[in-house]
Amino acid sequence: MRLYEYEAKRIFKRQGVSVPAGVVIGRENMGDLDRVVYPVVIKAQAFVGGRGKAGLVQSAGNRAEAQEMILNMLGRDHAGHKIDRVLIEQKVTVKRELYLAVIVDRLEHMPLIMSSQRGGMDIEEIARTKSTPILKYYLNPGAHLNDFMARNVASNLGLRGLLLKDGADTVHRLYRLFVDYDCKVAEINPLVLTDDDRILALDAKVDLDEDAMFRHPQLIQMGIAARHEVGEMTEREKFAKRAGIPYVDLDGDIGVFPGGAGFGIASIDLIQHYGGKPANFMDSGGAPTQEKLRAMLGLLLDNPGVKAIFGARFGGISRCDDWAKAVVQFIVENRPQKPMIMRMAGNMEEEGRKIIEKAKVDHPELFKKIKVYAYDTPIEEVIKETIRSAQTEKK
Amino acid sequence: MAIIIDRHTETIVQGITGSNAAVHTKFMLEYGTKVVGGVTPGKGGQNVEGVKVYDTVSDCVVEHPNVTVASIWVPPRFARDAILESIEAGMKRVIVITERIPVHDMLYARHVAREKKVMIIGGNTPGLISPGRSLVGMLPKIAFGAGRIGTVARSGAVTYYIANSLNLAGFGQSTSVGLGGDPILGTNFEDVLRLFEEDPETDAVVMAGEIGGVYEELAAPFIKTMKKPVIAYITGKAAPQGKRLGHAGAIVEGNMGTAASKIAALEENGAVVAETLSEIPRLLKQALDGTH
Repeated sequence: MRLYEYEAKRIFKRQGVSVPAGVVIGRENMGDLDRVVYPVVIKAQAFVGGRGKAGLVQSAGNRAEAQEMILNMLGRDHAGHKIDRVLIEQKVTVKRELYLAVIVDRLEHMPLIMSSQRGGMDIEEIARTKSTPILKYYLNPGAHLNDFMARNVASNLGLRGLLLKDGADTVHRLYRLFVDYDCKVAEINPLVLTDDDRILALDAKVDLDEDAMFRHPQLIQMGIAARHEVGEMTEREKFAKRAGIPYVDLDGDIGVFPGGAGFGIASIDLIQHYGGKPANFMDSGGAPTQEKLRAMLGLLLDNPGVKAIFGARFGGISRCDDWAKAVVQFIVENRPQKPMIMRMAGNMEEEGRKIIEKAKVDHPELFKKIKVYAYDTPIEEVIKETIRSAQTEKK
Repeated sequence: MAIIIDRHTETIVQGITGSNAAVHTKFMLEYGTKVVGGVTPGKGGQNVEGVKVYDTVSDCVVEHPNVTVASIWVPPRFARDAILESIEAGMKRVIVITERIPVHDMLYARHVAREKKVMIIGGNTPGLISPGRSLVGMLPKIAFGAGRIGTVARSGAVTYYIANSLNLAGFGQSTSVGLGGDPILGTNFEDVLRLFEEDPETDAVVMAGEIGGVYEELAAPFIKTMKKPVIAYITGKAAPQGKRLGHAGAIVEGNMGTAASKIAALEENGAVVAETLSEIPRLLKQALDGTH
């Protein structure tokens, strides 16, 4: 879970990583501009990088200037993200821009500390061209960061004497933060040396592990809660999120009720491959409850853009009988008029089949446009038939 | 032979008293898997599907000294502890069904396992099956049939559909391995490809990857050294792209992680890449005809 810069800096402060004095401003608290010591830097808050190049980081010498810039930034769209807050920080005079990050390296499966004497916007270019060395310091998972290691990293940052000790302290604190908060990424770019020889985190990028949030209740006290990451959510996505359904709107006409996320991704590829257009991505795997399964179908059916639904259950941990029960109850209660072309195979398939067959006998009128194929029909034939049904419905 | 598990493998189920674990213990027993014990702390002495429950893995090992494989079904917050307990008690392979295990927990468990030469599969794996011999996990038996094709995939359902598609075309499987859907995996494509390459009962391998992570790219150079044909299927070509935060990921991983990057890396190293599920058996047949 990516944090806003101001959220990351709250954690930095708590862990003793120095950041410039700052305040978060939105439309509701413009009055706080009176409390700020000018000149300041105004930074729009967005998860997506490239703010500097988009004019979303600016300097202001006084309150009037700041207010004008802020009003100009609020409401703007940055790569699909609407700006609704800015962080205002006291301007500092920078002597040098450095780079420091701790990351879960997925190639080596180890925590990795990276440092470079040159930070800033061109760090990826620096890494590619190797114009300035980036020191990579790997640690065994669970290992303690020894003082000498932190000093070596600080030394690579070009810090000497007393500054080396301050730098090593920052390295220690960032590593501690990385471990204590279950970070995937904790990056300071740039870490700066000011003209009065202070080491400050001018920017802060933190990516937390969503799956470890249960052991960080302190984040909620700090006003940091789970959220959707990039871009604005559609109404359906908001509804899905509240219902705990992983769901993303796409702009096609085939509702996708696929099973787990892995086949969810595959089915979108396959629908496109055979000339159809998926209306959504969904993860309906992981043994969802009856209520959730029905909510998933409702979500797809209520989408006026959906002309037909493709459904699949390959019962592993999610059983066919549970799936069949939910599908039948949904059909009986909602009497869908759109074609639903589905396939069910796997664990508890026979039990599931009986449930479907009984419903067909009890409610023949409801099953005119609904099909539930079995193991011997290849899944791609089911996809092709759904695409054809969607085309017929459009006519 | 097959790989990793065979008909003699003795296995335990950690978290056996949970409802999913109990149901799948029943399915495993029906399949012929030798489930010799279950473990749930505080529930020692109980019984699940005729399988004795122990409080600790060590207690179980005392009575069943030949057990080598544990499957883990406990909630995510207890997964690290359960994996380490199994390793400590001498298990050689730990199959982690639990999903959404914290990244730092998995890094640590993986590190300990590597030092002790223990294989972890998962987290978030459906398990693995050597058809007709043994099944550890929750894969539906109907998808699989005995044969000479090895399969390895990240997603559970994709594993089932591939086996399904192979069976409909007359290809059975030697072993099908689900690597798991969590971001940090105990075993990756290369580890399993190595085992299939050495397995005398496997003629060719089907591997299925998906966008995100770097495991497909990391396996590509090994494929180049393999004698057996590899058919690859990569999903996520049509998925909307996520965005990276900061530069750290890009510095380490460059442009890896997209479907295009994976397909390019695999093709450059001699894998044949299938566009659809139904294409897999066709390409497999071509590749096998070419080698004979």
